[in-house]
Amino acid sequence: MDKNLLLETARQLKQVSNKTSEEFEQKGDQLISKMNKLMMERLDIEKLTGKNNINMMKDNHANHVRFISSILKHHNPDVLVETVLWVFSAYRSHGFTTNYWAAQLNTWLQLFKTDLSPKCYEEIYPLYEWMQINIQIFVKVSNKDIEASNSIM
Amino acid sequence: MVKNTLNFSHKTFLDFLLSGNHLRCSELVQSYLDNKITVNELYENVIKKALYDVGEQWEYNKISVASEHLASAIVEAILNEQGLKTAFKHKINKTIILTCVENEFHQIGIKMVANVFEMNGWNVNFLGANTPTKDLISFVKTTKPDLLAISLSLYFNLPVLENMLQLLNKELPNLNILIGGQAFRHGGQDIFSKYPHTTYLPDLYSTELFIKNLS
Repeated sequence: MDKNLLLETARQLKQVSNKTSEEFEQKGDQLISKMNKLMMERLDIEKLTGKNNINMMKDNHANHVRFISSILKHHNPDVLVETVLWVFSAYRSHGFTTNYWAAQLNTWLQLFKTDLSPKCYEEIYPLYEWMQINIQIFVKVSNKDIEASNSIM
Repeated sequence: MVKNTLNFSHKTFLDFLLSGNHLRCSELVQSYLDNKITVNELYENVIKKALYDVGEQWEYNKISVASEHLASAIVEAILNEQGLKTAFKHKINKTIILTCVENEFHQIGIKMVANVFEMNGWNVNFLGANTPTKDLISFVKTTKPDLLAISLSLYFNLPVLENMLQLLNKELPNLNILIGGQAFRHGGQDIFSKYPHTTYLPDLYSTELFIKNLS
């Protein structure tokens, strides 16, 4: 049911314009670099990511931008939901806290506001708002996956 | 030697993989083939499933990246050994180039596809992981293959694949291209409809059928 809700709401997100997806892709490296810097400046970073996970966090930021670039080019609700769920399961299993996702998404949005054009920001915002609103549902659904993995392995 | 193993479960293979036992993995594969499992069944139902489980075990932090790499290395070695054994000795006059897109490092799936073509007598040029688009185009122009097969494992490399398809379409408009890979497990393959001469193949069974329909 929760996963269906994620899919239903993801289907309501709109395909962004080519101009927006191109701008996002073009500024990708710059966004990743600034994102890493901003997150590393946080005093609570190790609490958010868990111990010895800084490199994994940086990988996540790089993969995040590349994945969002793909989704912005071709909006695909199924791929979006399955991938975000996978990310929640994998990273939480490796020690990342739920609060990391809230902090990460907030920081991306702060960065987009300063580094992307107003039009690009406006078109991308609904996707990030959707991820923010649904953090608890992603946690709940990925909890089921993590519990299932513990029972069969 | 493992003998008369009629249960083709991928779990035994997975156990040998995770314990890093290349020899036992090879013996098991051979015993399955001796017991008349087809190569496609072996790849799809044993090796692929085992590797998906390996990925899942990393996902849930049950194994390390090192164990995952060990499992991949064993599988690649087995595919090389097994590919040589099953390659059809009499070659037909057809050539295929197989590759992953630039920045894509997961080459096991496309290696399986290469073996299936080789089994069917094709001349196979397997380029493997992370082939730069410019070099690929140059290689295709020189080799003049009947087909080009491209694999994408990670969905976030889709823009790279699209860029590659656009360039191939411009430089080699009549080239027939096959696309596949784990990236499309949850969809996304509809984008290929805008590229002429491009066929999406979801698995090895459809690949074999495609080959048979060509001959």
